[in-house]
Amino acid sequence: MTRALPAWSITLLSVLALTAAWIGVTSSGLVRDLFLPGPADVWSGFLELLDDGYRNSPLLLHIGMSLYRVGAGFISGALVGTVLGLGMGYMPRLNAIARPFIEFLRPLPQLAYLVLLIVWLGIGESSKITMLFLAALPVSAIAARDGVANVPPERIQVARALGASRWQVFCFVILPSALPEILVGARLAAGIVYGTLIAAEIIAGSDGIGWMIMDAGRFLRSDYVFVGIFIIGLAGIAIDRALLLLERRAVHWAGH
Amino acid sequence: MVSQAEAPVAPAAVSRPWRALRLRLPANLLLSTLSVAVMVGGWWLIAALRIVRPDLLPSPADVWAALIEILTQGYRGTTLWENIAATLSRLLGGFGAATAIGVPLGLWMGSNRAVNAAVDWIIQSMRPLPPLSYMILLILWLGTGDLSKGTLLFLTAFPIIVSASAAGVRGVKRQRIQAAQALGASRRAVFLWVVLPSAAPMIMTGLQIALAAAFSTVVAAELLAATDGLGWMVISASSFLRNDIIILSIIILGLLGVGLAALLRSADRLLIHWRGRE
Repeated sequence: MTRALPAWSITLLSVLALTAAWIGVTSSGLVRDLFLPGPADVWSGFLELLDDGYRNSPLLLHIGMSLYRVGAGFISGALVGTVLGLGMGYMPRLNAIARPFIEFLRPLPQLAYLVLLIVWLGIGESSKITMLFLAALPVSAIAARDGVANVPPERIQVARALGASRWQVFCFVILPSALPEILVGARLAAGIVYGTLIAAEIIAGSDGIGWMIMDAGRFLRSDYVFVGIFIIGLAGIAIDRALLLLERRAVHWAGH
Repeated sequence: MVSQAEAPVAPAAVSRPWRALRLRLPANLLLSTLSVAVMVGGWWLIAALRIVRPDLLPSPADVWAALIEILTQGYRGTTLWENIAATLSRLLGGFGAATAIGVPLGLWMGSNRAVNAAVDWIIQSMRPLPPLSYMILLILWLGTGDLSKGTLLFLTAFPIIVSASAAGVRGVKRQRIQAAQALGASRRAVFLWVVLPSAAPMIMTGLQIALAAAFSTVVAAELLAATDGLGWMVISASSFLRNDIIILSIIILGLLGVGLAALLRSADRLLIHWRGRE
């Protein structure tokens, strides 16, 4: 049976079957469109959102707000985390000092400290961006630290033997060797930051794409909810692909 | 969440040099302890000197008092243990179901191209979605009770576990399977004694990532809609401006997170003792 059908045709069949089931269930009135809108409803919902925006703000503004928060939190958290992690990897003492905090923060559910940040900083941008900063920081720090720790010692010894200073070893041996892991960590951090932001907008937002689906859900506009989920999924893929591209460009030597 | 499942390669390989370092330098343990002590001391000083309003930043002593208060009197009619148990049982329920269904499905997808072709696109399109984004649909369909939260946690862990299991099977070296077949192993024997052990390290890594993701999600879901659990305690305390209880809950959540991660790591070391020795 496997030989009779190529893999892509099975995937296509499976997509078609699921789409047909979706159309069938929704158009037959088996499920109310309140709960599950049909593909046509979702499409017209998308056009409506594109034309009129959601709650007096254009759709692109909601997407833009979310992406701005992700960008600000991710870039600040990944930069500080990477610098800290490089230091932790190079200096065992710094690692000993920072490790308890990094390893406590790493598995801590981000939304739990959002509540505290809201009390301290208000419900505006700064509490959300601080939360995203704190979400990206430990992930990037651990990736950079382990990247440094995994540099083959022979490589460092060779550079030392050839007369490189500590600083030169760091810049020309350790940093390039650790870069692949740093960038993998950055992608991981971006995924976590993005998921956290959507959750934060859902729980305590007043704009942004996450807030939009929550608000639309409250008013039982499940067509808008579906549009929002599609956009969130696509934006998530776009962010990941962009970082993957960067990774491939920056570390073309990875794996050697 | 896209990249989480792509990561399994990294966490497995990284921990070893550090474990060696930790054992070699006991002075660093002292330094770590000292650093935590300095942090708590600074926190105590800021609170004692009233640099920040005490209702915004309660002192360590206030948080300790809150712990004693909750342990003896409970919090709004629930005990601390009930709330910890509520969070953990949701977490383990969703994660357990995702493991029970996800691992076999992933193994099947990894060994059967037709199944993989039919199901993989669904799994791959679920992965980039932050779980909370479809929480509202689950609430709409299943109500605000534990069923929607359990399903949410299931859906959080499921694609990660399935992808890792399928990737684990696909990564088994062909020569190894061929060698076993050449020696006369049956299909069943090859699967049990060659494919499964070779895929196990990646499956365990997937389980660890999935549990971490589900832990974040369970708290978010409890903030959004729950009447018990640690997430509920945080959001409820915030509406009464009980920052001592919020900070206490965050510390408990942090320790739980560290504990869960350590538990799975030691399960990994115990069960997959052949990891990294191939």
